[in-house]
Amino acid sequence: MSTLVEPWCQPAPTRSGLTELHPPGSELWESRLSLDRKRAVENQTASLLEITSAVEARSHELRAAALVLTGSTARNRRTQISDLDYHVIGGRPDTEGLSSEIDLYSDEPDAFLAKLFKGDDFAHWTLRYGCILFDTGVLRQAAAAAIEHDLWPDPERKLRQARRSVEFAQKLATTGDYGAVLEFSRGALSLTARWWLISHDVFPLARDELAEQLVETGQPGLAKSLEGTIHRRPAAAEISSWLSGAWELIQA
Amino acid sequence: MSPKAKVEIAREHLAKAQEELNGDLRDAVQWIFASLEAAIDALAAEERIPIDQQHWKRTDAAKELHEKGILPSDLSTLHRELNFLRKAIFYDGEELEEDGFSVEDAVAEVEAVVEIASERAS
Repeated sequence: MSTLVEPWCQPAPTRSGLTELHPPGSELWESRLSLDRKRAVENQTASLLEITSAVEARSHELRAAALVLTGSTARNRRTQISDLDYHVIGGRPDTEGLSSEIDLYSDEPDAFLAKLFKGDDFAHWTLRYGCILFDTGVLRQAAAAAIEHDLWPDPERKLRQARRSVEFAQKLATTGDYGAVLEFSRGALSLTARWWLISHDVFPLARDELAEQLVETGQPGLAKSLEGTIHRRPAAAEISSWLSGAWELIQA
Repeated sequence: MSPKAKVEIAREHLAKAQEELNGDLRDAVQWIFASLEAAIDALAAEERIPIDQQHWKRTDAAKELHEKGILPSDLSTLHRELNFLRKAIFYDGEELEEDGFSVEDAVAEVEAVVEIASERAS
């Protein structure tokens, strides 16, 4: 007699979201891999699928332990400025000849696990919301460890990153290089948003989802600023005032 | 923004990167990346290569500018490396792990590009 296993569902973006799930046995994990592959296909255009297929083939050639499609594509929230993000666990495949919009990160299995314990939110993001394209078992073990040890991104780490990023964006804002100011400010405000959410026990999703999460956690001002840098071309003075607001929030 | 104005910005960013070579190397990486992007923008605008404020299009533009004989070498790899490194500084950690990458060499390479952009814009 076989036991019925509830299929995998994506964890809620909360502190307890992952621990509410069962430590994944092989059947449960298989259901996740199946769900993730389906999501990956649904969220990509034919041309993106072609790129992903090439990255997957090259990762297999290198005998990588796992490959994950991450970022806005995994969340089906691509914008005009989105890259195509991957996280490889194992050796880094060569992306020569593939589209330049690829952003590929790689970690050896031990380093990936260490990052989870260190509170690296990017590693946590991959594990929670990435579309796993293949996994030899390393990510299943990582998920089990994250559930067992109730692992959560380190807000202090994020705060340091946000502080540094806002500080640099403010320096850049004095130069008149509008395109760079807009882009760096978007990054700085995203980091500030991620810090705020993590420190309020909310797991930050894709960049284009952060504004909604910020509103829900009582930070509508930062939400408006971030959205402005993603979907508008605000005046330089407006961007500067948003950066000042983010700086005050960080300092407070 | 005109190519000439972009070149001026590239120059200013380059000067800040050079200053930071004796200060904070992490900031030097940010400035030199911004300088390279501005210089590519200036050259790409003259050649009518679309950039659309996307990093990856600048990577492609750097390659195309070399293929057209405007840049003596293909700087697409440098552009990609700098983009990766500057993100790593903000996202991965507090320390700059260069992994054999020389910030000084990158500054020198970008300086040459800014010179070319400057000559063409004047």
